[in-house]
Amino acid sequence: MSNKRKWKDGFLQGITYLASFFSIAALLMIIGFVFLNGFKLLNWDLITHNYVAVSHIADLKDGAEVGVYEATKTLGDDVYYSSKWGLGLRDDINIQGKTVVVVDYVHPDSPFVMLNDKGVGEADLSLSIDYEIIRIAFENTSSALSVYGSEAMIDILDSQDTFRELEYATTGGGIRGSIITTLYLIALTLVMALPIGIGSAIYLNEYAPNNRLTRLIRSLIETLTGIPSIIYGLMGLAVFVPLTIRLTDATGGNIISGAMTLSVILLPIVIRTTEESLKVVPDDYRYASLALGASKTQTTFKVILPNAFSGILTATILAIGRIIGESAALVFAIGTAIKDEVSLTDKSTSLAVHIWAMMTDEPANIELSTTIAIIILMIVLILNISVKFLSRKMTKRFGAHA
Amino acid sequence: MTTIESNIIFDIKDLNLYYGDKIALKQINLAIHEKEVTALIGPSGCGKSTFLRTLNRMNDLIPSCKIDGDVHYSDENIYRNGMDIIGLRKRVGMVFQKPNPFPMSIYDNITYGPKCQGIKDKKELKEIVESSLKQAALWDEVKDRLKESALSLSGGQQQRLCIARTIAMKPEVILMDEPTSALDPVATAKIEDLVIELKKQYTIIIVTHNMQQAARISDKTAFFLLGEIIEYGDTSHIFSTPDHKKTEEYITGRFG
Repeated sequence: MSNKRKWKDGFLQGITYLASFFSIAALLMIIGFVFLNGFKLLNWDLITHNYVAVSHIADLKDGAEVGVYEATKTLGDDVYYSSKWGLGLRDDINIQGKTVVVVDYVHPDSPFVMLNDKGVGEADLSLSIDYEIIRIAFENTSSALSVYGSEAMIDILDSQDTFRELEYATTGGGIRGSIITTLYLIALTLVMALPIGIGSAIYLNEYAPNNRLTRLIRSLIETLTGIPSIIYGLMGLAVFVPLTIRLTDATGGNIISGAMTLSVILLPIVIRTTEESLKVVPDDYRYASLALGASKTQTTFKVILPNAFSGILTATILAIGRIIGESAALVFAIGTAIKDEVSLTDKSTSLAVHIWAMMTDEPANIELSTTIAIIILMIVLILNISVKFLSRKMTKRFGAHA
Repeated sequence: MTTIESNIIFDIKDLNLYYGDKIALKQINLAIHEKEVTALIGPSGCGKSTFLRTLNRMNDLIPSCKIDGDVHYSDENIYRNGMDIIGLRKRVGMVFQKPNPFPMSIYDNITYGPKCQGIKDKKELKEIVESSLKQAALWDEVKDRLKESALSLSGGQQQRLCIARTIAMKPEVILMDEPTSALDPVATAKIEDLVIELKKQYTIIIVTHNMQQAARISDKTAFFLLGEIIEYGDTSHIFSTPDHKKTEEYITGRFG
C-alpha cells in the first residue's frame, strides 16, 4: 500500500518536473534562436538608421578645393585614405550580400562635407560614414566605379584635383522609423486605454449594483479578451480609419487609428487586471474612510485607487507588452509601409509589423527579423524591470499593502 | 448609588433590523447619555456590533440590511429621508476591531478626514495632527516620525492612531467595536486609560467581549442576547446585582 503511494507520488512529481523542464527548454530555445540568428546584425547603426536607402548625385561646391587633410584618428588596415581629399574608403558587403565601397572616414574639413545636390540644384549634401559610393565621374579621366574596389577608387581620386559628379547612397535597412512608431503607439494607446479601462474597472467594482446587467457586462468584457486580434484590426479598418480620415489630414491607415484599435484590444485586459487589484484592497480601508466622513468618491480615489497601484502597474506592463507584440490588427489599422519620416496621421509600421514585412520579402530576411526580435525582447525586459523597481519603491513607502 | 443626571444623546425607540428575512435586532429601546462610556456586552452574534453600526449608519453598506424604528441623535431621526450621512459620520466617529490605519504616513492618516472635509491650510492641519495625537496619548511616541508609514507602528500604536484619526474629525460620539480584541494586555491597558480620559470630552459607546474591561471603564452597560437587550443600567449595578438571571449567568461566565 505504502509502496503504491510512493509510486503514485513519484509519478505525479515527475510530471511537474517534466512540465517545468519543457517550458524552460522552450523559453531557452526561443531566446537562443533569436540571439544566435540576430546577434550578427545587432548594432547601434541599425537602430538609428533609416530604412530606405536614398541615392544622391552630387558635385563639388564652388570654391571647394583639395588640400592636405591628415586623418584625425587611426584608420583600420582595410581603409584606403586620400589625404588630398580627406576621404577614407573601404570594401564591405551590404545586407543584400553585394560587395560595395563604403565611406569609413570623412575629414571634418574635407570638400565632401559640403556637396551640392545636382538633382535638386541648391540643396546641400554631405557624405557620412557608411554611405555607399556608387561612382565618381571626372572631367579628364574615366569614371571610378564601385566594382573596381576602394583601393582603385582612391588611386583615381588622388590623381585628380576636381570631379564632375559623385553618386552615392545613404545607408538603409535601419529600423529607426519603426522604433519611433512603436513608441508613439505605446504612448497614444496608453493615454487612451488606461483612463477608460481604469475608469470602467472602478465603476464595475465600486459603483455598479450587483445585478444581472453588471454581470452581463463583465462576462462580455471577458469574452472580448478571447477575440482574435485580426478581427479588431478589421474593426479598426472599418471604423477608426474612416474616423481619423474625417477628423485629421490622414488619407489611409495611420498611427492614431492604430492606437485606437490597440486601445480597444487592451481595454478588457486593463479592466480585468485593475478590477482584480481593486478587489484585493481590504474592506477595512473602505470602512475606515467612510466612518471618517469621507464620501464614496473620496474613498475610491484617495484610498482604494492608490492601494491598487501595483495592480494597475501590472495592467500597464501587460498593455505595453501587448502593444509591442501586436501585429495582425496593425496590418489593417496602420498598414505595412515602412516609413522613416514618422507622422501620426500617416502609414508606418511598428517593430512587430516590421518583422512581418521582412519575412514576407522575397527572400525572407531572417537575420534582420531576429535582430528586431532581440530589440523587442530588450525593450520588454527594460520595461519589466523598471515597473518592478517602481512598484517596490511604492511598497517601501506605504508598507505591505501597496 | 449616585447617578449623574446627563443629557441623552442617542435615543433609540423600537428599533428592528433585518438581514434579508432574518431579524438581527428586536425591539431595541435604549437611551445613551452624553459624556459617558456605554459598554455593549453579550455573546458572539447577539447583535451588539450590528447595533453599534446602526448609530453611524455603517449598516447602509450591507445591501440586504433593512431597518425600522427610530434612532434619534441630538433630536434628529438619523434614518429619515435626506439625512446627511457624511455629516453624521463626521459627528459620530468609529474605531474598528482590527487596527486599520491607511497605508500612508502617520501624518496623512490623521489629516485624511479633515482634508476630505476641505481643510487645506497646512498650519491648521498641523495643529489638528498634534492635538489629536496628544489626545490619543500617541504624540510623544511618534512626534519625530510623522512622515513614516503608519504600518511601521505596533498594533497598539496603530489602534491609538485610529482613535487619533477619529478625534481629528472633532466628533461628539466615538463608537468603538471591540477596539482591544486584537491587542496584547499592555496595549489594552493603554487604550482603556485613554477611553477613561476621552470620556471627559466625548460620548463613547464600546462593544467588548471582555467583562472586566466593561466593568473597569464603563458607566452604563447594556447586555445583548439574541438580538434583544436583556438588561441595561449602571455598570456597577449590572455587575453586582443584575436584575436578570441571564445577565448574571453571562457575567459569571456560565455561557457565552
